[in-house]
Amino acid sequence: MSVGRVLVVDDDPQIRRAMKATLTSRGYEVSDSRTGEEALDKLRSETYDLVLLDMNMPGIGGIETCGLIRSSSDIAIIMLTVSSSEKDKVEALDAGADDYVTKPFSMPELLARIRATLRRLPQAPDDSGLRQLALEGVEIDLSSRQVTVRGRTSRLTAKEFDLLSYFLIRPNKTISHRELLQAVWGPDYGEELEYLRVFVNRLRKKIELDPSNPRFLVTDAWAGYRFHLPH
Amino acid sequence: MNRSEVLKSGSSIKGILPWGHHEVRTRYPSLMVTLAESNNRPISESVLQKVARLTLRLLLALSLIAAITFVFVRHIHVNATSVGFFYLVAILVIATLGGLVEATVSSIFAMLCFNFFFFPPIGTFTIADPQNWVALFAFLTTALTASQLSARLKRQRKEAQDRQREMERLYVLSRAILLTDITQPTAKQIAQQIANAFECPAVALYDRSANEVYLAGPEAFPNIDGKLRESTIRSSVIREKAEEILITPIRLGGEPIGSLALTHASLSDAALQSMLNLVAVGLEKARAQEEVNRAQVARQSEELKSTLLDALAHEFKTPLTSIKAVTTDLLSNPEESLSQQQRGLVAIADEGADRLDRLVTEAIQLARIEGGKFQLNREIHFPSSLISAALRQTNSLTDGRDFKLQVENDLPLVFVDAQLIVLMIVHLIDNAAKYSRPGSPIVIGAKASEKRVVIYVTDQGPGISEDEQSRIFDKFYRGSRGQHLKGSGMGLAIAREIIRAHGEEILVRSNPDQGSEFCFSLPIAPVGSSE
Repeated sequence: MSVGRVLVVDDDPQIRRAMKATLTSRGYEVSDSRTGEEALDKLRSETYDLVLLDMNMPGIGGIETCGLIRSSSDIAIIMLTVSSSEKDKVEALDAGADDYVTKPFSMPELLARIRATLRRLPQAPDDSGLRQLALEGVEIDLSSRQVTVRGRTSRLTAKEFDLLSYFLIRPNKTISHRELLQAVWGPDYGEELEYLRVFVNRLRKKIELDPSNPRFLVTDAWAGYRFHLPH
Repeated sequence: MNRSEVLKSGSSIKGILPWGHHEVRTRYPSLMVTLAESNNRPISESVLQKVARLTLRLLLALSLIAAITFVFVRHIHVNATSVGFFYLVAILVIATLGGLVEATVSSIFAMLCFNFFFFPPIGTFTIADPQNWVALFAFLTTALTASQLSARLKRQRKEAQDRQREMERLYVLSRAILLTDITQPTAKQIAQQIANAFECPAVALYDRSANEVYLAGPEAFPNIDGKLRESTIRSSVIREKAEEILITPIRLGGEPIGSLALTHASLSDAALQSMLNLVAVGLEKARAQEEVNRAQVARQSEELKSTLLDALAHEFKTPLTSIKAVTTDLLSNPEESLSQQQRGLVAIADEGADRLDRLVTEAIQLARIEGGKFQLNREIHFPSSLISAALRQTNSLTDGRDFKLQVENDLPLVFVDAQLIVLMIVHLIDNAAKYSRPGSPIVIGAKASEKRVVIYVTDQGPGISEDEQSRIFDKFYRGSRGQHLKGSGMGLAIAREIIRAHGEEILVRSNPDQGSEFCFSLPIAPVGSSE
């Protein structure tokens, strides 16, 4: 029985073979693509749960492919890259990736990242009775994962949705970085502040009227973030 | 002296003209150096020539007066007044063609002839009629005044011509400076243009920023380098060999940026100053251009290096990725899927891949930061968060080690490239772990010290001998007890490059058998700034 359908996108045939063999042995159903263009074609015709996307590829490259996938889908994306620099990490997350793994990686680490990315927040907002929220020109529809700001509708990715839900259930309360990371990404996380920075920014772009001057998702310096819900 | 004799004696064409204009140049004694004589000819010879030319002109002038006197005494008999007018005309001609000296001598000679031959009693220098005294005095005054006026006019015309000529030369020079060719040193071209435009036999230009002396002109300029440098350093004018050589500093905004030496140049103070200003602007323009070019070349080579290193990292890490994926997958399988022996063999491959990965990573880190020419991404950080970020990254390297943290409270914020400083602390911790007994504690601390924050990493290893202390920061050097250790020998070299790029230093304190302490300081953030 498949635990998930994964699309491996990498120009190196050995890596594709290794990924296919190891992931298949862990119960994943795996397809592969050699280029970003090929991956986009595959994503149009088939459904997947997750894309493992190499950052450095000939052709349109990983970052651009990620952006193109994101423009039409909220599928989970993990970027694979050689560089571990902060700039590359942020670039990958900014392009819409959910996570980032540095090559070479160990399989247990990659599998943990895949599980964390596919993991859904156990406490869905539906249970708390919160379905729709309309505040000052912003409408958030939690059942369809859609946000409308001034008539412009955007869809949230799974991780963005989980993060927003976690905030909405705890309005007007400062939530620490560690708590957010562990709740949304998983218990192995806790120090990856750049994830939060990028994801909070991504959320602000979707739900705030003025993302550079947020009214809802506010930063509490050195402590964490808070969702400000006007009474 | 006839024309061919003068040519044989080596003088210039200008020198043979009886009414040459050289004497005019001596009216600018502050700058000027003598004239068309060549540098290696003795000065006495040129003075002799001048005296000879003056004598020749005097003889010609006196002959003219004598000829008039002879004609009127022997052949044409007119009254004394008419003769006086003829003398005056002759003196005007002499003053116009010659100079003041010839005109004055001719005036006195004419006055004497006038008196001797035309005023009664004729044939003596005595004058009977007092009215004739008045006439003679009037004649002398008129002759001298006419000489003066004529000579002054001539001088003014000459000066105007010289000014115009200087202007033309300065224009030529300014145009040449604007149009310098980028393939050759600008200072060299400027020296050449000065030699051409001002007809200088020898020009030497010292460019202080390039520390080079450029020579131009047909003649040699021996032993000039030292004097040019002296003139620049002291910012003062030097004159040598009876003003034949002039060495003057070139200043820009009061600051000497070089110096210029000329031989036998004839130009006014104002023209010299204009020329020096032009040269200063030309040199400054060249220097600015060169700086821009250098920065551009450095940036391009930095970009190229970065691109090459990225490509290299990619090429090495791609095969390592598939090896690591396979080995880690096999090792993470349940115990029973591999035999003990197979598991051991896969573990060797896995460790080999890890080691190769670290070697590649460190070699690329070192290549990237080596030479200190890279862009620091400085921001304001808490020293404690740098240390905790480093500790998180070292987890896999230092399993089971006991870390003791000694971070002072309320440390000031530091202004550093966090990624590099964290990398540096990781290398120091890694180094401490490698060179000390497993299980022995490693101390990591931070304290405030004057305008710095000092971070230190201390181990209880065997210590480092004094000879070794100077070599441990060298690339590929590994401590004598560390031959068997895994490592590239690049960690401390990387650490030193990083801290030097921040303008700080790393120090090691160690005694054999008493452990080692590596410490470095970080600059604190400017007051008033905040995260």
